[in-house]
Amino acid sequence: MREEGMEEPLQSSLRVQELIYGLRIGEVMTSRVFAVSRNCTMHDVRVIMKKNAISGVPVVDSKRVVGIVTMNDLMNALEQGRMDDCVTVWMAGEVQTLAEDMPLSFAISAFGKFPFRQFPIVNRKNELVGIITFRNINLALIRELSRQLREMEHKHEHPPDPESLVLVKVYQLHRYDFENGGRASSEIKQFLKQRGIPAKLIRRVAVASYELEINLVAHSIGGMLGFDINRDRIKISSHDRGPGIADVDKAMTEGYSTANEWIRSQGFGAGMGLPNVRRVSDDFAIKSAVGMGTMVQAVIYLNPEEQNESQ
Amino acid sequence: MGLNMDLKQLAGAIDADLVWGPDGWEEVNIETVFASDLMSDVLMSDRDEMLLITSLSTEQAIRSASIVGSEAVVIANSKTVTEGMIELARDQEIALFCTRYPKYESCVRIGRMLESR
Repeated sequence: MREEGMEEPLQSSLRVQELIYGLRIGEVMTSRVFAVSRNCTMHDVRVIMKKNAISGVPVVDSKRVVGIVTMNDLMNALEQGRMDDCVTVWMAGEVQTLAEDMPLSFAISAFGKFPFRQFPIVNRKNELVGIITFRNINLALIRELSRQLREMEHKHEHPPDPESLVLVKVYQLHRYDFENGGRASSEIKQFLKQRGIPAKLIRRVAVASYELEINLVAHSIGGMLGFDINRDRIKISSHDRGPGIADVDKAMTEGYSTANEWIRSQGFGAGMGLPNVRRVSDDFAIKSAVGMGTMVQAVIYLNPEEQNESQ
Repeated sequence: MGLNMDLKQLAGAIDADLVWGPDGWEEVNIETVFASDLMSDVLMSDRDEMLLITSLSTEQAIRSASIVGSEAVVIANSKTVTEGMIELARDQEIALFCTRYPKYESCVRIGRMLESR
C-alpha cells in the first residue's frame, strides 16, 4: 500500500495535526482566570498582572467579556500617569473570544489571524470560563506528544497482527485536487474488504468518507481526513483549515449548496454531501467557525448491538 | 423488483463498446440501471448490482460508481474516456463501456428491450 502524504514537506506533523484537531480548547486553557469589572482601575490591573505574572486581564460584566486590558494598554496608561483611570478607558472593547468546545486548531488559527497574545474563552452561555495563551498550547502539545510517543514505543515493542482490524491513518487533501479526491476512500474500502467486513457496512463507510473527501477538495482550502478503526467501530474525521461554514444548519439542509459552476461541472455541489454523510453514519457531529475551519466526525459501528447500547 | 439481466444484454441494447471489463463481465447480473450526471445523486443511491449511465466522463464518475458498489459504468454520448478512467476502472474492477447514444436515448432503448422480453 502506498504511504500517503510522503510528498508533504511536514510529514511528521500529521500526528500533531491530528492532535490539535482532537483536543478541545477547554482541555488546554487556564481555567483559573483573573478578570476585573468595569469599575476597576488600571492600578488594580497592574497589581493583578504583577502578582500573577500574566500579560492580559479580561474585563467582565456579569460574567460576559466586555473588554481586555493588555500589558501594552497598561504601559500606555503608566506613561501618561493615568493609572487611576477606569479600565474601560484603556481596554480594547472589541474582544475576540473563543468557545471552550472548539478544537484546539481553531485557537491556533486565531493566533495566526489576530495580533493578540491571549484569547478569553467562553462557554455556551457566553460566560468567561478561561483564557488561552501560547504557553497553554505548548504545554498541551508536549504532554500529548509524549503520551503518543510512549504509545508508539509500546506498539513498536508489541507490533499488532497485520491482519487485525485496527488502523489509524491520516490523508492530506488539497483544494480542487479532484484527481486524488477518493483515493483515501478506495484504500479504506479495500482494507475493510480484505478483512471480511460486510459489503453493506463497507458501502456506508465508503460513502461517508468519499463525500467528506469531495467536500475537502471542493469547499475547503485544504485539510485532512483521518480514519480510526477498531473491532467495534470506524471513526472518520475530516478537518480543514477554512474557510469555515457560516450557517451549519443550512449546510445540513438537503439541497443547500455554496458550490460554484466548476464544482457542479464535476458532478457535485447538489447540496447533498453533508446530509448524505449523516444519513449513512450512526453518530455524526459537525463543528465550524468562519475563518478557522470545519470539523466533521462520522462513526459507523461494526456491530449492530454495540450501536444500540450507545444510543 | 430488479431487472435480473446480464451485463452483456444491457450493453448490447445500447450498442455499448467495452473499454475494460473484468473476467466474466458478460454474465455479471444487473438489477438496477441508474442514469445521472450528478454524482451527489449516485452517492445517495442504496441499490445493488447497479449499472450507471452517465455523460460525466471523469474519474470521479468511476470513483462514485465504485463507492456505491456498482458493477459497470457506461459513458454516454461518445464522450472521450481518459486513460485515468480506464486505470481506475481496472483498479476498482468495474466494467467500463462507451456508447454513442445520449443518456436519455440509452434509457429508452433499455426500456424497449425490457418491454419486449
